[in-house]
Amino acid sequence: MRAQVAVTESYAVFAHLNVEKTPLYRAVLEAFVAARRQFAIALRPVEIAERIPRPAGAPEAPLTEVENALRQLKVWGNLDDSPDTAEAATLEEFYRDRRLYQLSAAGEAAETALAFFYESLHRPGELQTTALRDILELLDAIPPLLSRSPPDDAKLHLTLSSLTNRFEELTDRAQSFMRGLQRTVDLYGISVEAFLGYKERLIEYLEKFIGDLVVATNRTAEAISRVESARLDTLFEALARRELADALDPSPDLLAATLHRWRDRWLGLRRWFIGEPGHPSQAELLRARARSAIPALLTAVSHLHDRRTSRADRAADFTALALWFASAPDDAAAHRLWRTAFALTPARHLRVNEETLNARARADEDARTRWLDAAPMFISPRLRRTGRTTMRGAPPPTVDRSAEKARLRAIADRQALELVRARDELLRRGRRRLADLGPLSRDEFRLFLDLVARALARPAPPQAPLEGLSVDGSLRVRLEPVPDGEWVTLETEQGDFRGRDHWVTIESTLDPAP
Amino acid sequence: MTSTPAAPDRRRKARLQRLREDHDPIAASELRTAVCSLLRHPLLLPDAPDPEAYRLVRRHRTWLSDWFAHHADWNLVVSTEAVRLHKVPASDRDATRGATEPRNGELFTRRRYVLFCLALAALERGDRQISLGRLAESLAGSIASQPAFADAGLTWSLETASDRRDFVHAVRLLLALGVLRRVQGDEERFVADRDSDVLYGVARPVLALLLAPRRSPSLLDIPGFDQRLEALRADPAAPDTPDARNRAIRIRVVRHLLDDPVLYYDELDPETRTYLDRQRPFILRELSDATGLEPEVRAEGIALADLEGDCTDLGLPDEGTEGHLTLLLAAWLAQSLRDHPGRPVTLDAIRLQTARFIRDHHHHWRRDASQPGAETWLSEIVLRTLAGLALVERHPAGVVPRPALGRFALRRSDDPAASPTTPDLFAETAPESSGP
Repeated sequence: MRAQVAVTESYAVFAHLNVEKTPLYRAVLEAFVAARRQFAIALRPVEIAERIPRPAGAPEAPLTEVENALRQLKVWGNLDDSPDTAEAATLEEFYRDRRLYQLSAAGEAAETALAFFYESLHRPGELQTTALRDILELLDAIPPLLSRSPPDDAKLHLTLSSLTNRFEELTDRAQSFMRGLQRTVDLYGISVEAFLGYKERLIEYLEKFIGDLVVATNRTAEAISRVESARLDTLFEALARRELADALDPSPDLLAATLHRWRDRWLGLRRWFIGEPGHPSQAELLRARARSAIPALLTAVSHLHDRRTSRADRAADFTALALWFASAPDDAAAHRLWRTAFALTPARHLRVNEETLNARARADEDARTRWLDAAPMFISPRLRRTGRTTMRGAPPPTVDRSAEKARLRAIADRQALELVRARDELLRRGRRRLADLGPLSRDEFRLFLDLVARALARPAPPQAPLEGLSVDGSLRVRLEPVPDGEWVTLETEQGDFRGRDHWVTIESTLDPAP
Repeated sequence: MTSTPAAPDRRRKARLQRLREDHDPIAASELRTAVCSLLRHPLLLPDAPDPEAYRLVRRHRTWLSDWFAHHADWNLVVSTEAVRLHKVPASDRDATRGATEPRNGELFTRRRYVLFCLALAALERGDRQISLGRLAESLAGSIASQPAFADAGLTWSLETASDRRDFVHAVRLLLALGVLRRVQGDEERFVADRDSDVLYGVARPVLALLLAPRRSPSLLDIPGFDQRLEALRADPAAPDTPDARNRAIRIRVVRHLLDDPVLYYDELDPETRTYLDRQRPFILRELSDATGLEPEVRAEGIALADLEGDCTDLGLPDEGTEGHLTLLLAAWLAQSLRDHPGRPVTLDAIRLQTARFIRDHHHHWRRDASQPGAETWLSEIVLRTLAGLALVERHPAGVVPRPALGRFALRRSDDPAASPTTPDLFAETAPESSGP
């Protein structure tokens, strides 16, 4: 049963990590840890001072310094002290306050934590294929153990404990590998050689591990199902029994808790290899992450490439240019440098216009004509005189034409009225012979001519009646030739109209047929 | 607008052009627009300065990058964030196209250039966002840490308002180029108040595309200024076969024709001149087809002239006070070219003539053109424009008119070439009103 440790101020054991004398404290504590490996628990200051590593030829760390450090570590709780009962060898020793020091419980826990910290940090992450093999073997070993009755508790417990351990290792390693992968491909500052080496190793790992993972996943999943098809509850009970065999006071709660813990572990194991809908298995995820590491790798490659083809350090280029500008002899030189270095200036050309081009096309020029003799650039006289192509000044005010417009409108209305009157007159005539149609006013005659022209324009056999429509389609004329008709005269306001005699019928197309 | 009938030659040329384009007329005109817009804006972003051009360039990027690489050896980079044509110039002697402050067109000084480059260095080292205050601190740190700046006489501190103004101008150029994107704040307040701050987002892809030369300035350790410029433009892997030399000549000529207003023969060495004489028709036809610019071949040199007006930033003729004065001075200088070729015209003479023009035309112009002393700064503006268009050459003694200025010379009235507008049978208006 573990002693209850007071939880107050328990972080003081880590206080030595961030002070001025941290290297000394670390050296001292590491000396303790190393001594413990050799099964020496309590040490004297003198012995500590001897064990502290120092560069060759340098004197020993002064004893007083070491003693101060030890006292401080005791205050922080890393060390425990007890009186030193051995006999003093010298007077000095006799008068000095002699103590024996050893790692306290908290100190030891701190050291373990720190050791784990260093190992995790510095241990290169890797993907393990041996772990997969071991897991498979262990899984295969379980069913036979289960099938024995009563099941061998000890062996089962051993097997499953190893299984769980291998699993944790595998998970840890895979996690740190994935972390390392992401960090590395993020490093844009990586050099080409380092990158190539990393790429080789990565590809090797990925090929080996991913391939093995795929194979192992299937077989492991099978093995897991085989175990599960056997009696799983028996397994857990056996495990719980074994674990609690050493317990001082196994209560039903403790049993339930242990069972629950083992069930969780088994579930974790299962989830590693067998996924559920909506929750891909860990192996799947690992595979997906490893697969996506490859495009990230390619991106790093392209960044390297970009850096190499473009300037390695553009900031240095800009600074160099700033220095060049500063040392330019004058502003004109600075403009020249601006154009050469940045080339952001627009093009510049002389202008020309259509009139000039036309003039040139007419003139007799060739490649030997001088500019002074050739057709010049055409400038409009207004431009030459005033500097503008348009007239300047206020635009002329818009003239008010409403009176004229009203007059025009009145004229138009009157003409429309006359046209309607003429139309009605013609319609009133009905069917008449040509000579009897008159006298016609000017508008009536115009309308009549229009109708006749359209009627005559239609192709028709001779002596057949002709029909025609007016332009707007509202009047229809029918001309029936009188047999043996003579030439007759139709009087109009504008003169006499002579034609062969016809029966003329003018009717409206809008009226319903009689 | 004009009542002149098109000459038969022009119609025939246009017809031939249409025939050539007939297989895909839309693509041909789109390509021409894309080429011109890239020449005008070598860095195009999706939303500025010309979204339509950006789309066109992305659509035809294969053809465009092939064309530019083959003819001018310019690299065209097309990505989802930006389009960049690395328009390496043909020569490094042109001092007329400096960077300008986006709002008022002021030319950059050396100090502003330095601040601009240091700001770029700080942005390169930084993150995706940066504040004005932090950028300024980083700049101050860079300047303080490099004794070469103090040796060159450049000092800069956040305390003086004029220094802060220089810094803000450099930042405005970064904004205009699209390297920075304002998120919150206004840098104008920073000029007056040292503590106000602005938050920017950094467009790192645009930052990566800014530098043009193939060689890295930080790796070139050359003392002389001119040598540095030459080293920046040099092609590190240039073979020495006759073919490669010819190709280098052709590329240089094409770069000059595409980017600069006039190519004068007296600036070329004999080898280039011989090559150009042989290959001129082919080169000009190819460039003219691709860009839509009109070639102008004369005894003294070649120019590609802009008909549409979208391929150049400076234009002549132009409207307005300065434009009108430029036109008048150009005609006057051209007269001097005709009467006394090669003789420089002194600045005093120019100022005097400007004053005369002001007297004659000030009622057409802006108010401030009539103020005393206006002829000095007005003539400076005009000379800068003329030098930028390679029409004059500036010397300490004055300016020397260049041959292309002859384009703007007035002709005697009995010269048939003087009145290109022949009276039209059906003209109902007087020939003077060629305006609306």
